[in-house]
Amino acid sequence: ILSLQRVMKSIEFEQGWSVMETGVAKLSRILEELPEPPFLPEEYMNQYTTIYNMCIQKPPLDYSQQLYDKYSEVIATYNKDTVLPSLRNKFDEYMLKELVKRWGNNKVLVRWLSRFFDYLDRYYIPRRALPSLNVAGMKSFCDMVYQEVQSKAKDAVLALIHKEREGQQIDRALLKNVIDVYVGNGMGQMEKYEEDFESFFLEDTASYYSCKASKWIQGDSCPDYMLKSEECLKKEKERVSHYLHVATEPKLIEKVQNELLVVVAKRLIENENSGCRALLRDDKMGDLSRMYRLYHPILLGLDPVADLFKQHVTAEGNALIKQAADAATNQAASSGGVQVQDQVLIRKLIELHDKYMVYVEECFQQHSLFHKALKEAFEVFCNKPVAGASSAEILATYCDNILKKGGGTEKLRDEALEETLEKVVKLLVYISDKDLFAEFYRKKQARRLLFDRSGSEDLEKSILLKFKELLGGQFTSKMEGMVTDITLAKDNQISFEEYLSTNTNTKLGIDLTVTVLTTGFWPSYKTSDLNLPSEMVNCIEAFKAFYATKTKHRRLSWIYSLGTCHISGKFDQKTIELIVSTYQAAVLLLFNNTERLTYTEILEQLNLSHEDLVRLLHSLSCLKYKILTKEPMSRSISKTDTFEFNAKFTDKMRRIKVPLPPMDERKKVIEDVDKDRRYAIDAALVRIMKSRKVLGHQQLVSECVEHLSKMFKPDIKLIKKRIEDLISREYLERDSENPNNFKYLA
Amino acid sequence: MHKLNRNNRDKLQQFVAITGASEKSALQALKASDWHLEAAFDVFYSQPHPRSNAADVRRLEELYNRYKDQYSDMILAEGISNLCNELEVEPQDIVTLVLSWHMNAATACEFSKQEFITGLQALGVDSIAKLREKLPFMRSELKDEQKFHDIYNFAFGWAKEKGQKSLALDTAIGMWQLLFAEREWPLVTHWCDFLQDRHNKAISKDTWAQLLEFSRMVDPVLSNYDAEGAWPYLIDEFVEYLYDKNVVEK
Repeated sequence: ILSLQRVMKSIEFEQGWSVMETGVAKLSRILEELPEPPFLPEEYMNQYTTIYNMCIQKPPLDYSQQLYDKYSEVIATYNKDTVLPSLRNKFDEYMLKELVKRWGNNKVLVRWLSRFFDYLDRYYIPRRALPSLNVAGMKSFCDMVYQEVQSKAKDAVLALIHKEREGQQIDRALLKNVIDVYVGNGMGQMEKYEEDFESFFLEDTASYYSCKASKWIQGDSCPDYMLKSEECLKKEKERVSHYLHVATEPKLIEKVQNELLVVVAKRLIENENSGCRALLRDDKMGDLSRMYRLYHPILLGLDPVADLFKQHVTAEGNALIKQAADAATNQAASSGGVQVQDQVLIRKLIELHDKYMVYVEECFQQHSLFHKALKEAFEVFCNKPVAGASSAEILATYCDNILKKGGGTEKLRDEALEETLEKVVKLLVYISDKDLFAEFYRKKQARRLLFDRSGSEDLEKSILLKFKELLGGQFTSKMEGMVTDITLAKDNQISFEEYLSTNTNTKLGIDLTVTVLTTGFWPSYKTSDLNLPSEMVNCIEAFKAFYATKTKHRRLSWIYSLGTCHISGKFDQKTIELIVSTYQAAVLLLFNNTERLTYTEILEQLNLSHEDLVRLLHSLSCLKYKILTKEPMSRSISKTDTFEFNAKFTDKMRRIKVPLPPMDERKKVIEDVDKDRRYAIDAALVRIMKSRKVLGHQQLVSECVEHLSKMFKPDIKLIKKRIEDLISREYLERDSENPNNFKYLA
Repeated sequence: MHKLNRNNRDKLQQFVAITGASEKSALQALKASDWHLEAAFDVFYSQPHPRSNAADVRRLEELYNRYKDQYSDMILAEGISNLCNELEVEPQDIVTLVLSWHMNAATACEFSKQEFITGLQALGVDSIAKLREKLPFMRSELKDEQKFHDIYNFAFGWAKEKGQKSLALDTAIGMWQLLFAEREWPLVTHWCDFLQDRHNKAISKDTWAQLLEFSRMVDPVLSNYDAEGAWPYLIDEFVEYLYDKNVVEK
């Protein structure tokens, strides 16, 4: 061909163009699906070469510009004369089909013509920075055809989508192709798609679902509505994958969610009969899960749900508290009854917690909002008192019941016990007065350990480990010390007994066991000036001597109120072994020397307080086992009573425990804890001010609360009072320029 | 009163001894000259200052001796009563508080020699007549915001029992009534009622000082009272009392 070129004369424009026209005409016929054989390679080459030749001719015979203009003209004419008319006389789906066809055709047209006119793309077009053949061709279609029909096409598409939404089948492939037209005419940008189609689609969608929502919300129950919503969202997602552009999905979902879920959220979630409250009440976990799934993607969507969840759990908890309180007042007469109710309460609280934890884990997918809601709910009712007892005390009593003999240790197996202890510790988290719990627990633990009432040493240690994990070593150090003391005491006892046997001149006549307690670990006990029976005095002296051989640096204080005695009671019928407290034993032993004693005589001889003595005598003469007879035979002790050894007493057992009901420790515990709190607040305030030097009032208070929060919730008024006390003790002063600030005084 | 180190205290005493100046002026001069005695003298003598010299001091000593107690080197109750008579004021007139303030007296109902002399020097008087003339000025000092503040806070230490940290309630109420007669505070009666009704204990220094702030800053209908603020506990209680008794709308 190159050689041909050299030989051939230059081509005239008209001449060359007529060759092109032939090619264009053929192409048109092919596009119109008229019977026409496809292009032969020679025919194609001819077209290409004609252009080539016309372009390489020397000016003024270089026809590049004219050819470029002709190219555009050809396409424009084709669009005007052929394409547009074919679209104008069709409507709806038919029009869409035609549009898709014409769009496809256009691509072919442009592709072929571009090949023919390709040489222009090499030099002329780049040199003049003109739109490429492809671009020019596509733009022509866009400006002339697309612009005219796009709006009608959009309407037709929306109509079809509406049909599909209403349940009818439509031609999805067609829609996909139509969407491609919008996208394609963007020429690499999404603008046309977004402005000419997507925005209308989204608006249309919104009003469609707005309508549906209004209708459904009137009549449907919440679960049904949610099901429909879920279905709609699913279908819309499918719609995108079938024929819409993937970028539309988030916008579409947002619109649908907004109309179906956001706008009606309040009505839906708070529906009286079937909304969230009712679902919680009726344990509809499936529906609640759906509610979670639907509202999770929506910003702040879960807030009302979490709030209702919290309200529900709080109400349930409060009901349990009230139940326990009512039962307590009903059974106020029988003291045993009140105890039982407390234990039932704890068990029910644990059950409540387990139940709703499952909800948090399964329905609400462990979402932090719901963890928080559950926690806050429990914090409300787990701090309410029942029948005058704080929740701290009730929980401590519950622990005591499990750990003591005859409590949980015999009834439940080890794993079950461990699990129960775990759950108890979990409840402790919600109680704000943890220091109060610690004190009650400690008191009860002391009684268990000292009176050998503990069911299992392993369990005692196990629960302390759990406390330690949760609340730190400071919380458990004293309790652990107590357990250690008991273990050490056993070893110590062995040494004592060895000492006794090697010291032949110390004959006690009584078996004595001594437990030495480290002060500070154990609750504080009053020492007393009890006049010990002479039999016991020798024993005490012997132990003192033994202890002096072990260490010179410690002082022993004797707490007789914690001792236990085994006494043989030689009654008329038979001898019975009595297990009594040391105090009770002291009273009884007086009657070895005298038949009858008055209250006053006993008081003087023993040197006890009235409070103690009344309790003791009551336990020995007015309860189940009347070891002493009282004159007069009334139910309570008065200072004018007289007592006598009850020789006629008997029981079928050979050994009985004569209990001494414990004093109510509640008041003292609360007093002690209050005192400790005052010190704790002072210490915290001083620590904070020492490190900050200057601090504003509000910040000081809030940091103080923060510091102490692990153990208790300090009363703000109390903190204020302590601050003022520290000011008068000159640890702090007010800033002279701003009395709202405090300064640390070194 | 001032936290001076040994060195400076000595210098102060020297200065006063030499110039016969009051402690206040002496301090001023010494501070201005950075505690250089010589320079301080220059400062002092170059001031247009009513110079108190040795003669004045003697006259003041004579005056002191007129009122001083028979058995101890102090002016006690009888002497104060005589002083008040000669000044033609009642002993419970608030101007005596102002006078005590000028003297920086440690306790009510007694003046030491030092206090008496220093106070009169501070006022620039050396006779009863001159002191009597000064009384209106002293009364006017109560109207000055800053001076009232100082006098009020001074009153706490002055009115309380020696060796006690707090001020007995009755005394405190008496002082408040006296002080707030000079500076109207609408809630003073309610405050005193409240204390007698609900508190019945001594008043701490902090509470005393903060009450003045409260009276100055918070309006009588409590519209700008900040419950979260650092007001002493007693004042918070007072506010609740006012709400309880419907003196103020919540």
